[in-house]
Amino acid sequence: MARVTLNHVTKRYEDVVAVNDMNLEIKDGEFVCLVGPSGCGKSTTMEMVAGLTKPSEGNIHIGDVDVTTLPPKDRGVAMVFQNIALFPHMDVYDNISFGLRLRKYDKEEIDRRVDHASDIVQLEGMLDRMPDEMSGGQRQRVAIARAIVREPDVFLMDEPLANLDAKLRVHMRTELQRLHKELDTTIIYVTHDQAEAMTMSDRIAVLDAGELQQIDPPLVCYNEPANLFVAGFIGSPAMNFAEGKLVPGGFESEHFSVEFDPSQIPGASVGDRVTLGIRPEDVFTTDRIQNLSSATASLDATTDVLEPMGDEIFVYLVLGESAERSMEGETASSNQLLMSVNPDSDIQEDEDVEVVLDRSKVHLFDTASGHALAHGIEELPGSGAGGGPGTEAGTGGRTGADTESQVTEAESDR
Amino acid sequence: MSGETQTQTQTQTQAQSQSETEQGPLANWTQGVISDPDQRSLLYRALFYAITIFFLVTTLFPFYWLLVLALTPNNLILAGDWDLPFLRPQGFNPQAFVEVFEQIPFHLYVFNSFVLATMTTIIVIIIASLAGYVFGRLEFPGRGPLMLAILMVSYFPPAAFLIPLFEAFTGNPVVAPFIGVELFTPPRLVNTPGAMVLPFSALFLPLSIFILTTFYAQIPDGLEDAARVEGTTRLGALFRVIMPLSAPGVATAAVLTFIAVYNEYFFSSIMALGNEPQQWSPLVGGLLQYQSLYSTEFNLMAAASIVGVLPVVILVVVAQERIVSGLTAGALKE
Repeated sequence: MARVTLNHVTKRYEDVVAVNDMNLEIKDGEFVCLVGPSGCGKSTTMEMVAGLTKPSEGNIHIGDVDVTTLPPKDRGVAMVFQNIALFPHMDVYDNISFGLRLRKYDKEEIDRRVDHASDIVQLEGMLDRMPDEMSGGQRQRVAIARAIVREPDVFLMDEPLANLDAKLRVHMRTELQRLHKELDTTIIYVTHDQAEAMTMSDRIAVLDAGELQQIDPPLVCYNEPANLFVAGFIGSPAMNFAEGKLVPGGFESEHFSVEFDPSQIPGASVGDRVTLGIRPEDVFTTDRIQNLSSATASLDATTDVLEPMGDEIFVYLVLGESAERSMEGETASSNQLLMSVNPDSDIQEDEDVEVVLDRSKVHLFDTASGHALAHGIEELPGSGAGGGPGTEAGTGGRTGADTESQVTEAESDR
Repeated sequence: MSGETQTQTQTQTQAQSQSETEQGPLANWTQGVISDPDQRSLLYRALFYAITIFFLVTTLFPFYWLLVLALTPNNLILAGDWDLPFLRPQGFNPQAFVEVFEQIPFHLYVFNSFVLATMTTIIVIIIASLAGYVFGRLEFPGRGPLMLAILMVSYFPPAAFLIPLFEAFTGNPVVAPFIGVELFTPPRLVNTPGAMVLPFSALFLPLSIFILTTFYAQIPDGLEDAARVEGTTRLGALFRVIMPLSAPGVATAAVLTFIAVYNEYFFSSIMALGNEPQQWSPLVGGLLQYQSLYSTEFNLMAAASIVGVLPVVILVVVAQERIVSGLTAGALKE
């Protein structure tokens, strides 16, 4: 068990910077997920911790030891690979005991540990099988057993569930969480699947283009994303964005406006270009806003496409009275808005509706830099613009600067 | 054969159905092969047997001929009645297989070739594994040209190296060309295994490096990474994981090298100054001992050839088993 620290770690290849000035401190016993899109440097970061790749600059500590130049075998790490990487010419027992045999443990000790590890991952009775006689899930369990049998200081898992089918993946996800509880070892877990990251980890490190965007507990990343990238990456479906600018009365974009007092936004002034972000579940039709503490003025919209998911329905809205459909799709200035509604809602396609946004869940970002300006905005005093019966105006605008608290506070209104 | 009758009936029915087109039997048969899968597989099987029998006859006939000569007493080989078509022994003299060892110490010649081949194979496989790992799995500037340079060694005829090597191995100082600076004086290696194993290793390395490079390059990176994280060095991963998984390739390279050296005569006949087993003269040198100025004992030469081939036959059978078992154990899957 050990702390893992990365100090100003940079990895440069001939023409690209894979990881740029990464500073990361992972506490003893913590489960940290590195997430990001393909090519964001998460696997490279992992390989540098494992010792398979040497950083161009910076240093890496595991526990109190500077391991920057140590070979992988001397780092006290064990790794589970995306392609499982069992040795195909060895049976399960030989695979699991490979590391122990290399370290010249006695036979009884090896047997004891292999038995224990295969117990944990429920592989009893399969020790004499060859890897190609096993199913994907069994092989993955062998790979995990091979990692835990060495009782390493740090577990590294590089998308270990990526090659499994959806059902097995969910099952292995809970098994890994149980394993973490049982072993209480530091785990670094790389994934591009944000659902895995959200459900399993103590903290999520979001990476993009080789740079660390945010490292926080999952719900903080979800509710108070540090910048546009994190906001767009965490959450499925993604957050709605609308580009616009700050005006004396609040936020104004091509298709709609939201009233608030711009002076409450630190670090921004009237006339700045900002991007407003709102998650689909924080958009409501006007007939469902009774339990909203503070809603914005209603916006006219037309429903476009419905996507019933079973537990909720995603509704694509086209904003504006003319309701021209923009084919631009994903661009930030589009007049589309995604809303999630109850599955028992009787909403129809091509229906005119009025929607409001939950003020406490509105995010504002600086368009140029992408940094978060505010999470939640207060009503303009006395304007009464909020269409809802929200009496207790404003639950205290959370700004990007203070990241504490109020994470789950507004969760209950759904 | 039921297939033939079937074919005939089919040909008949086709001939009936196409009576107005008036096709000949060959055209009908061709039509049948094209349209009827049974007839096609019959043709394929027939072709397979024809080609297999052709190859078996051409490769096995020399062995049969050796056996015939070995069993025929030497005086009957020249006087014998070799009437075609069946070439049979003109007598029965299995004593030749014993006489082979009585006339000269033939087993020592076999031993020499065997030892030379084994030593060369071990050296070649170890060095070619290291080189194959580097060329197959590492990225570095100049990899392509360097590989080409190594392969170029095999472009030269071995005879091109003979004179300078003979000079060096007889203990003459090695002088840098053109500038005349004496570099070093090698030990006198003629009549020792070194004089043969060194040039053989150099000559057969390029092919083995080439084979192992392609095999080692195919092993997934993940397996090597896994081995290294589990506790091996790069070298350990090569010998514990990459090499066992490339067993068919290693076996191929080893068998090719072994056979080539085992049969080698040109270099060893010169590096062994006399044709004596004590001077590491090889198998072929031993065979030539049965030929004297006045007589040639063809039956003994044939018998000795059969005896000399046996170790290679055993080796190939064993290695082939290894290759097949390596394949069926799923060694190349991942």
